[in-house]
Amino acid sequence: MAESAASVRVAACGCITPFGDAPASHAALLRGECALRPVGVLGRDGGDAVPLALVPGRSLDETAPPDWLAALRRLHGSIPEGRWGSPGSPVFVTGSNFGVGGLYALRRTGDGAFAAWGALPTCTERLRLDLGWGPDVSIVSHACVSAHLGLILASRVIGAGLADEALVLSFDFLSPFVAGGFHALKILNSDFPAPYRERDSGAIGLGDGAGFAVLSRERGDWTLSGQSLYNEMHHFTSNRADGSGFARCLDPVAGVARGRKVWFKGHGTGTLEAGRLEVGAARRAFPGAPVVGWKGSLGHTLGSCGLVELAIAIESVRTGRTPGTIGGAGSAMSDSVALESFGNREFDGVVCASNAFGGAHAAFLLGHA
Amino acid sequence: MADPLTARLKLLIVETLRLEDVAPADIPDSEPLIGGGLSLDSIDALELVVRLEKEFGIKIASSEEARSALASVAGLAAYIRERADPTRLPS
Amino acid sequence: MLERNIQALVTDDPGEETPAEVRNRLKGRFPPGATRRMTILGLMVGRALSELDPREDDSIIYASGYAESGALEGFLDSFPAPSPTLFQTSIHPSAVQQLMIGRQAPVGELLPHSGGPLFAFHALRAALLSPAARALVCGGEERGTWLLEHGLASGRAFAFAASLSRERGPRDLGRMRLIRDDGDGQLGLAAWFDLLHGRTPFSGVIAPGWRMEIEWH
Repeated sequence: MAESAASVRVAACGCITPFGDAPASHAALLRGECALRPVGVLGRDGGDAVPLALVPGRSLDETAPPDWLAALRRLHGSIPEGRWGSPGSPVFVTGSNFGVGGLYALRRTGDGAFAAWGALPTCTERLRLDLGWGPDVSIVSHACVSAHLGLILASRVIGAGLADEALVLSFDFLSPFVAGGFHALKILNSDFPAPYRERDSGAIGLGDGAGFAVLSRERGDWTLSGQSLYNEMHHFTSNRADGSGFARCLDPVAGVARGRKVWFKGHGTGTLEAGRLEVGAARRAFPGAPVVGWKGSLGHTLGSCGLVELAIAIESVRTGRTPGTIGGAGSAMSDSVALESFGNREFDGVVCASNAFGGAHAAFLLGHA
Repeated sequence: MADPLTARLKLLIVETLRLEDVAPADIPDSEPLIGGGLSLDSIDALELVVRLEKEFGIKIASSEEARSALASVAGLAAYIRERADPTRLPS
Repeated sequence: MLERNIQALVTDDPGEETPAEVRNRLKGRFPPGATRRMTILGLMVGRALSELDPREDDSIIYASGYAESGALEGFLDSFPAPSPTLFQTSIHPSAVQQLMIGRQAPVGELLPHSGGPLFAFHALRAALLSPAARALVCGGEERGTWLLEHGLASGRAFAFAASLSRERGPRDLGRMRLIRDDGDGQLGLAAWFDLLHGRTPFSGVIAPGWRMEIEWH
């Protein structure tokens, strides 16, 4: 598939994880810390203990209004002021689950107070009003590539001259709905994730996360280019065994990155087959590029992972140090996997990739403006 | 005469996965369940796991273990016999 | 101005059909056994989209505000032993994936939207800005049950799929365009569907600063 959007500048970018903002998250990853803890999968209803990472002050159980609103307001406070949501300053809200935890609480308790944030349209409208945005707020939801899609759509609006700047906000906060669902898929279990490591069975962790990016035609120290998408449509939860889906998404980015020395920020949740395919595809598309994945520490932040990890990638380039792949023990799937942190000043770009159910793939090249 | 556990498993497969055009007796004992003639996939396997865990009180920990346990009806019956409380097996 | 030509259009308005009646009506349009795990929304959107013969180099823009209400309700009711099938099926953009995975048909670009008062504008803007030669705009809603009682699902089922092309063709049905406008307005998904279903000409402000025009040949 061809490049999906023209190059665009990143004027601002940030995130919130259980470690804190982007600098704090980056520093924690450099120290090799793991945010994941064993938590009952159904919250106060108990269940198996599974690795989850919650923003401090939150519990897995939903509150009305949601307790993740405080974290989003904090994140929003770090977004440069603008007439967001007004004509010419569109907002793209992306995520996988939005307020779906409220639906779980509603069904368990019958308390109508949980309904207010439960559906995507109503959740986003409440958020829009709470954060003081105008009406131009698009809602984009495609599981774990949601953030990438928001970036592409925003880039196209800017590229078409319909706006000079756009805000992309992405969030996913955990609930028994989400944890229970992944636990039913048997990939969220008592084992902690070990992305890109060989082991007998795969396992993921899940984490709270939110991120934003202000994209601009002319302002900003960073560029996103080669934004690429591909959807295998082979199976809901697995990829074509030949890795062609990963290659179809990465090849356009490789074209844009030709001649540059890059490192690869992968999706790497901790599942085995997808991890092997991703590492293999990264090696072929970007020979010599060290591969890192941070979900072994942060957990998989689902719909927000593209933006959360972009913010940490930017912090890595800014500070000159890339955190290694945290989680587990044992041999790496490939010698291209960087288990330890490394200096990155000799590199001149980062390929950031995410994948999702249905064999959805998304990637772009992050570089200096 | 079919072994009661095998017969019960075949009925569970048809009911849980809503195989409208399949009779339990049509399911072979030894053919692969996943990727075989029934066109079941990994999500079907996991859906069966939920039902089996509830019915027999067993615990399947990972997707890899699920795939191994569900290699065939005969294999699944053996897996359950090894792990379930005998009082929960059909007689 | 942003504009594309309407090459083809499929709409489905089940009216008061029950979910079982919708399933019976549509299941014959899919291969035997393919509909076992398909939802009502998946059947309706899938049938509409399949008639446009989606190709790998298309861009699919999918619009559903409440998406898989049935699967959501079922998943929530399956706790404390949550159903992996219903979890998977409840995740946006399941309806499109149910069709495309059934066909084993990759697509380069799938842009799933939810939305509210400006839903038509956001979905149409995404379609008109796509670099793909064909933008397939599809979507709809299925009727909820207990979620509907709480205002968290649609009370109406409908589905549509339209093929929008930059190139004009002799069999084009019409044209859809977005034009800058000083006015203010809104158009939700159901209202947009009604215009398409009725092949109704339209010129009106559907978002602050934007007018949509639909003309039919």
